Amino acid sequence: MDAILKVDGVSKRFGGLMALSDVSFEIRPGRIMGLIGPNGAGKTTMFNCIAGIYTPTDGRILLNQEGRALEVNGSKPERMTQLGVARTFQNIRLFGSLTVLDNVRIGRHCRTGQGFWGAVLRTRAQKAEEALLIEQSLEYLDFVGLKGKALDIATSLSYGDQRRLEIARAMASGPKLLLLDEPAAGMNPQETASLVDLIHAILEKGITVVLIEHDMKLVMKICEHLVVLDHGVMIAEGGPRDIRENPQVIEAYLGRGAAHA
Amino acid sequence: MFTKFPALKFILLAAVLAYPLVPFTDYYVLHVAVLTMVYMILAMGLNVVPGFTGLLDLGFVGFYGIGAYTAGILSLSYGLSFWLILPMAVLAGAFVGMLRGAPTLRLSGDYFAIVTFGFTELVVLFLTNEIWLTRGPLGMPGIPPVEIDLRWLHAGWRYVFTGETPYYYLALILVALVYAIMLRVENSRLGRAWLAIREDPLAAASCGVNLMLFKTVAFAFSAAIGALAGCLMARWSMFLSPDIFKFWESFLVLCMLVLGGLGNVNGAIVGAVILICLGEVLRIVLPKLGLPAETRFLVYGLIMIFIMRFKPAGFMPHVAGCSFVGRRARELKARLEAERAG
Repeated sequence: MDAILKVDGVSKRFGGLMALSDVSFEIRPGRIMGLIGPNGAGKTTMFNCIAGIYTPTDGRILLNQEGRALEVNGSKPERMTQLGVARTFQNIRLFGSLTVLDNVRIGRHCRTGQGFWGAVLRTRAQKAEEALLIEQSLEYLDFVGLKGKALDIATSLSYGDQRRLEIARAMASGPKLLLLDEPAAGMNPQETASLVDLIHAILEKGITVVLIEHDMKLVMKICEHLVVLDHGVMIAEGGPRDIRENPQVIEAYLGRGAAHA
Repeated sequence: MFTKFPALKFILLAAVLAYPLVPFTDYYVLHVAVLTMVYMILAMGLNVVPGFTGLLDLGFVGFYGIGAYTAGILSLSYGLSFWLILPMAVLAGAFVGMLRGAPTLRLSGDYFAIVTFGFTELVVLFLTNEIWLTRGPLGMPGIPPVEIDLRWLHAGWRYVFTGETPYYYLALILVALVYAIMLRVENSRLGRAWLAIREDPLAAASCGVNLMLFKTVAFAFSAAIGALAGCLMARWSMFLSPDIFKFWESFLVLCMLVLGGLGNVNGAIVGAVILICLGEVLRIVLPKLGLPAETRFLVYGLIMIFIMRFKPAGFMPHVAGCSFVGRRARELKARLEAERAG
């Protein structure tokens, strides 16, 4: 298996609503993939299935574990994080009343291991881990440009900075696949431009990025591969140029007849 | 206050340490002080669940009862030493805390509160009805006092705690111990995981926090501290009855937390001092005004309303949530500022 993650015939049903039906695609390592589609197309549901928040009703999700395919449908979110799949949320979900540094430190939870007795007895291993954790967390904050605000409360950050902090927190778990759910939502043009640089920097670190985004200019500019969903069905897949000219995609976004107009 | 006058902390500590030894010591004041310290331990223990993990626990006093009765039964039936009983009561509390986790782990909000409320009632009913074990409503009189028995080391080295002074120091040591453990745990991977659960369970899980595991640890830890307070109380008051562990006590401890600021270990200490002292004052003042002493519960209610209206985060709002306060935070802040400048 050379893809980093493979979605194989995944369906998700909520009562009578088919949020995803028989979606299959591959996420190839080392590039930026875009997951697009009109509102309610099932993009976030797809993310939730991959990140372990939902269990797919049908189909398989296969994760590349050192060359072998590991079936991960139904794994809990913490296990997916452990396996190297990190995510951000569409509506920012930071630990609001904690400091920026603590947010990132919690992000690194699954790569640290001290427990109750280590904390109570302040063992040497625990102290070493805590000291290392602070340094590592500051590095992640430096990476997204928030190091100077390490001791601020998370909710006191500007909207764009909160989005960056969410990315730093996800990065802290040491992922190989990063799922970004509308990272540019609510950002001004300057913030979006620096977000593009940040995403490229993440890619340079060898992390594969999948993003959901409504800003078509951004998507077309940075994604090498796109998957288009509409009403839970995958209607197109390919490079930005193909997608832009695909009549089904234009119909999904603009309505019937628009493709011929 | 303490950052402005660092010496104040030590003066206060010295005063607390020396009080029982000064000539004008009052027996009654010492008694109230020990009671306050029992409640400090309770408040710090309860704080773990609603304060750190954000789950409203209305059944905390159940663990207090389990710790107390474990100590009472083991002392009366087996004559074990306090120093042996203490860890056993703590383990019993932790075990029951974990058991209570089974039906409550997947609950949150009101549902969690209701199940925990049911749990205290269950404990009280058990203590009242299982007469073969607990003597039921008759209570458990004649629990022996704490003693330090070192006769195996040297003939005549035996000290039995009489009066309030030795209990005062014992309680002080236990409060200090629990306080230190709380601060250390709060500022660790474990404490941060709890705070993450409080802030946003879904995001916490996405950061790799195993919700079930960390909630179970919180329940067990909180219950263990409650049982520790119970064990101390049993051997100090030397009498137990199921009435002591009615739901009202849970509520009183919760009030202390809200007063001091949920999630704040210092707040738990302050809340315990305020409410216990106030209760004692009111017990004296109210009858002089021609009101029954029970009217003090109304005053507690009024205080809660005023706190919610004017200081909803308590007297000591927990600013940074957790961990990064004090010396290490100041050092890091200085370092970050130096980097920015240079």
